[in-house]
Amino acid sequence: MTDVRAPEAATTEPRLPGGPARGAQGLADWLKWGWRQLTSMRIALVLLFLLALGTVPGSMLPQEGADPAGVQQYYTSHPALAPLLNHLGLFNVFAAPWFAAIYLLLFASLVGCVVPRTFRLAGSARTLPPRAPRHLARLPHSAEYGTTLAPDRAVEVAAAVLSGHGFRLRRPDDPADAWVSAEKGYLREVGNLLFHLALLGVLVSVALGGLFGYKADRLLVQGDTFANTASALDEIHLGRLATDADLGPFTITLNRFTASYITSGAQRGQPASFDAQVTYAARPGGPSRTDSIEVNRPLSVDGTKVYLIGHGYAPVFRVTDARGQVVYDSPTPFIAGTTGNFLSDGVVKVPGAQPEQLGFTGVFVPTWVDVAGTLQSAFPAAENPAVSLIAYAGNLGMNSGAPQSVYELDTAGMHRLTAEPKLLLPGQSLKLPGGQGTITFTGYVPWVSLAITHDPGQVPALACGIAALGGLLLSFLVRRRRIFVRARAGGPTSTVQVGGLARTDASGSFEAEFASLAAELRSAHSQHEK
Amino acid sequence: MPVNLALGHVSNDFLIAALVIYSLSVVAFAGDFAFGRPRRADATARVRQAREPATALAVVGAASVAADGASSQDRPVVSGVGGTQGTAAVPPAADSMPELPVPPLRAIGQAGPWIRAAMTLGALAVAAHLTAVVTRGLAVHRAPWGNMYEFVTALTCVAAIFFLFVMIRYRAWALGVFVTGAVVIALGLAETIIYTAAGQLVPALQSYWLSIHVTAMTLATGIFFVAAVLGLVYLAADRYARRISAGRAAPGNGIMRRLPTTEQLDRLTYRTIVFGFPVWTFGVIAGAIWADQAWGRYWGWDPVETWAFITWVLYAAFLHARATAGWRGRRAHYIQLLGFASLTFNILVIQVFITGLHSYAGVS
Amino acid sequence: MFRTKRRAVVLVAAVITGALLVVVLVAGWATSGKRDVTDVNGNPNAVLYTAGHRPLAPDFTATTLTGSRLSFSSYRGRVVVVNFWGSWCVPCREEAAALAVAAQQYAPAGVAFLGVDVRDTTASAEAFARTFDITYPSVSDSGAQITLDFTAVVPIAGTPTTLVIDRTGHIAGAVFGQATYAELNTILGQVDGKAAAR
Repeated sequence: MTDVRAPEAATTEPRLPGGPARGAQGLADWLKWGWRQLTSMRIALVLLFLLALGTVPGSMLPQEGADPAGVQQYYTSHPALAPLLNHLGLFNVFAAPWFAAIYLLLFASLVGCVVPRTFRLAGSARTLPPRAPRHLARLPHSAEYGTTLAPDRAVEVAAAVLSGHGFRLRRPDDPADAWVSAEKGYLREVGNLLFHLALLGVLVSVALGGLFGYKADRLLVQGDTFANTASALDEIHLGRLATDADLGPFTITLNRFTASYITSGAQRGQPASFDAQVTYAARPGGPSRTDSIEVNRPLSVDGTKVYLIGHGYAPVFRVTDARGQVVYDSPTPFIAGTTGNFLSDGVVKVPGAQPEQLGFTGVFVPTWVDVAGTLQSAFPAAENPAVSLIAYAGNLGMNSGAPQSVYELDTAGMHRLTAEPKLLLPGQSLKLPGGQGTITFTGYVPWVSLAITHDPGQVPALACGIAALGGLLLSFLVRRRRIFVRARAGGPTSTVQVGGLARTDASGSFEAEFASLAAELRSAHSQHEK
Repeated sequence: MPVNLALGHVSNDFLIAALVIYSLSVVAFAGDFAFGRPRRADATARVRQAREPATALAVVGAASVAADGASSQDRPVVSGVGGTQGTAAVPPAADSMPELPVPPLRAIGQAGPWIRAAMTLGALAVAAHLTAVVTRGLAVHRAPWGNMYEFVTALTCVAAIFFLFVMIRYRAWALGVFVTGAVVIALGLAETIIYTAAGQLVPALQSYWLSIHVTAMTLATGIFFVAAVLGLVYLAADRYARRISAGRAAPGNGIMRRLPTTEQLDRLTYRTIVFGFPVWTFGVIAGAIWADQAWGRYWGWDPVETWAFITWVLYAAFLHARATAGWRGRRAHYIQLLGFASLTFNILVIQVFITGLHSYAGVS
Repeated sequence: MFRTKRRAVVLVAAVITGALLVVVLVAGWATSGKRDVTDVNGNPNAVLYTAGHRPLAPDFTATTLTGSRLSFSSYRGRVVVVNFWGSWCVPCREEAAALAVAAQQYAPAGVAFLGVDVRDTTASAEAFARTFDITYPSVSDSGAQITLDFTAVVPIAGTPTTLVIDRTGHIAGAVFGQATYAELNTILGQVDGKAAAR
């Protein structure tokens, strides 16, 4: 398809990809050549492929950010391969330097392409459409018909019609010539540039969020309150440029958590809904409000969002030591294991017991059944709760050394007190041998785990995403096209030739538009003949 | 609200009916290849030929007059300004206007009995398919794309409707057998391997974003499905055209000569992808918004998110390739097919086998 | 025309980059180097606030482990050592002995010790006090409200944290993390002005 190129629209593709032109081998020339290569479509294509390819290992291998336990497992199952992969950064692909290099190069290429084109677009808005070619019949779309109007009159009518359709017109310099040139569709390039710049905006927003935002976790037992401060959070990940002072000073109390499950049918045991009723205050002394946090419905406090991520059961234990003192009386969060139906594991540490410290490992079952001697959970709701405990006495290892996990018991310095795990129903007690004390399972309360996130780049990223979509639609829907009309005198009738050219129309939809425009011009001419 | 199992069974029955009728439609399309009479080239082509020297026109005219159903002049030309006319007539030199499109129903009528039958069956099948999807939605009281089975049935419905529209608009009857055949295969897979009974959704999916994000992804996947099939047809046609020009094949092959030109197939595929790419982009954005509501971050490189990104990049590469010298044609279509492969990989492998936050396929 | 336009673009880009560089350098210089704290015994987590740069400790009223109400303002006029702790916290258990000894040794000088028990329950907290012979009172801060108020003025990042408040109610010294006897001694010596009573 012949394509009449205006000089301002040509995209420069280097003729010699092997290097800059002969006779100009200085560093500046090499840099210029390198820059031209980087901003060429071919390299952009290669970079896009590399981006797609580089993303693949990030989805196939466990990544440190999302699944650190999986990474550990990979090390144990592939001891020779794992360190090599780690060296290549494949366990943290999206933060790896080589991945950053790919998308930074891609964006450099993008910027290097977009900025000159923006200048060109601004320039083309000032220049007129090109002159009408001599032989309109050679254009991909053309029409020809006769009219009794004089050539210049015919051109006037045509110009009026085209102008009515929003085309920009160009008239001949020489008044003797009878043609008009019309062009339309500059918005396409605007949309194109907007799309690419918006992508850059998304990248910047993501970076901003990562730098200035934070993510934190907190496990909260029903009835408890917590304040959003570094020492009260279980885990906190600050962005590079964020500090503890950026944590919004709100407090949340978990009043009540309810989970409902499907009780019958093929999906029995599947969760139906979760609901955490909370009271919160945005700042100390500020007004407190109540709200409910559900899945898909986070709580928004002063630009920070609090999400309900998980939940579980915290059985309540009361421990009396050998001296008869109540040394422990608290709900103890147990964590659900992988066996299902919220069969949960947990640990009770009683460092205050005298004369020996006490520790218990336990299993909490919300609806217990005995399956051939093993304890199983039949349903995730606490319809028939029970707890099974093994007791230890000795040194918990808490008086010195490294901080311990609250969910693990180090029995190295302890001796086992009970030979068999003991099952306790709510209200029942286990009397420890040797007069070491008693532990009573008094009941249970639910707990929730909350994720607190603050991402200042979130809203800008969304805005840029929407802008990108808008630019995309604009660049696809609008076509840059030109219509030329020439009128030649030929005896009693003039011959009107209409030619059409769509510059960026690889999709072929200009045909219908040209056909209807040609028909409209013809009918306009025949109307003016009357 | 409890799931209406009876209505769920009705939905499944309609889907099986759709499957059967689609298969019959495929047979009818194939029958057109085998037994249908040759169709006329459209007027636009003839208008262009009018500018060629008169001898060429005479040769062309003679060939079409002497046609016995085996000449290469029988290629139907896909064009927005299409339509059929009577026997070849040289247009008057003084007045040449481009033709306006012929109304669709008349075009179907003029395409021959096999196409008429195939289109009727296809329309019936789409109606049954749509009913199946709608009744499924009514049965579960939500948008019917909450697990993989529902997703595949919905996207094939989108693909079928979209393709019917494309076929009618561009008079591309010859492509019917390929796309409808692919729909039959996909539905067959849905019914047998990935079938899931109607049921409630886990709380994480109970959100109005289901209607927005998954709908967009369903639409986009259906559209890309059509583009992938057309891309495969393009590659076959392109190979055939190159074999003809290399002299290794005679232009008399039954199926191939019925297909549109490679240029038209290329344009059709491009327009399809141009339609689908913004929908996919919107779907990704909507998914990010939903992820932020549900999981606390709008992008976490979850495997499904990652592969949706890869798919997006590959289709973007296709669009770039069409504007790059040396990358138009076959190479661009390879890229497009790679993009669809990554999309399929995402649906069938990642969502099923790799656990992540997105594992809602419902397939055990 | 194109040549000069490109030169103009390059010049503009260079100017913008230069300006950004200047901004970054100035910002970095301005925020670095706080002159208002000095480290104690070389430990960057144990600090003394120079006079005039001491943050004001927030007031609070809370319930002690024994159930009585305690108002922090009642300590005004005395030097107070506020220790944030929990029975579950291993470094708290390690520093408990140091705090107990320091409390007894500085009692004649009128220095008060007050514990703030975080994320804990009464039974476990009382058992802790019994184990380590903690005689000074502790208030319960299970909702972390007191912690939140203090975090607004000093960067409390975890547990344990020990703050030393002077007679005017300003925070004069802090140990962010486990406190050693030597650090407590140094800080109290500076704040109180009197050496520990033997």
